[in-house]
Amino acid sequence: MPSIETCFGTLDYQEEARIEFPWGLPGFEEARWFVLVDQPESRPLVFLQSLEQRQLCFMTLPIAEIAPDYRLRVLPEDLERLGLDPSRQPEPWEVLTLAIVCMEGKQAASVNLLGPVVINRYTRKAVQAIRDDMNYSARQPLLAEGAPCS
Amino acid sequence: MLVIRRGCGESLYIGTDVEIEVLDISPSQVKLGIRAPKLVPVLRKEVLLTREANRAASQSATAGALCALIEKLAAQRAHAKPGDDGKPFPAP
Repeated sequence: MPSIETCFGTLDYQEEARIEFPWGLPGFEEARWFVLVDQPESRPLVFLQSLEQRQLCFMTLPIAEIAPDYRLRVLPEDLERLGLDPSRQPEPWEVLTLAIVCMEGKQAASVNLLGPVVINRYTRKAVQAIRDDMNYSARQPLLAEGAPCS
Repeated sequence: MLVIRRGCGESLYIGTDVEIEVLDISPSQVKLGIRAPKLVPVLRKEVLLTREANRAASQSATAGALCALIEKLAAQRAHAKPGDDGKPFPAP
């Protein structure tokens, strides 16, 4: 079983558990192979760890966890890249959709709902499927700070 | 912001070597053609925003912040309705 050094220490992974981003991610076009690190103690966070750059690791959250009403809108070219029918949106069992979490300095954590990571559950090909509308933000605040009093 | 009205088939230049032509107009979208040197990147704004967010996200996790985030998520989750079985991939 192959293993890599990561931010979490040594990580063993199954060869077939690798996820391929054939076009990388915007800003990281050269990063192609990743694994998902799903540890019980850090759930619901799932880590997207690069297999090529040990320092490159994204924190992600399943979109179903944080935005149950989220409507996926994957462009036809991204559906083709995923090996899915470009004429219709994928069914929930076909893809895993994750939002990348961003924590910058003292700012509250945010998630990118404009460009969700979409993984074909069967072929394990993945893209960051950037929407062509602005109905969702790339920096959607994750946690409502302080419930409103009423 | 500079505002210019253009119709179908009309174009404008940014500098002397970037041309933007209006190819088609529908009620909700315009179709633009862009002629630019290969070295000039042409990106949808959403891609640019995602690239910036990715770069920030790639270096945003510190152990302390991570623990706090997991605790908050756990608290929030306690109130949430149950999700799916939590298994990301089907059994082979």
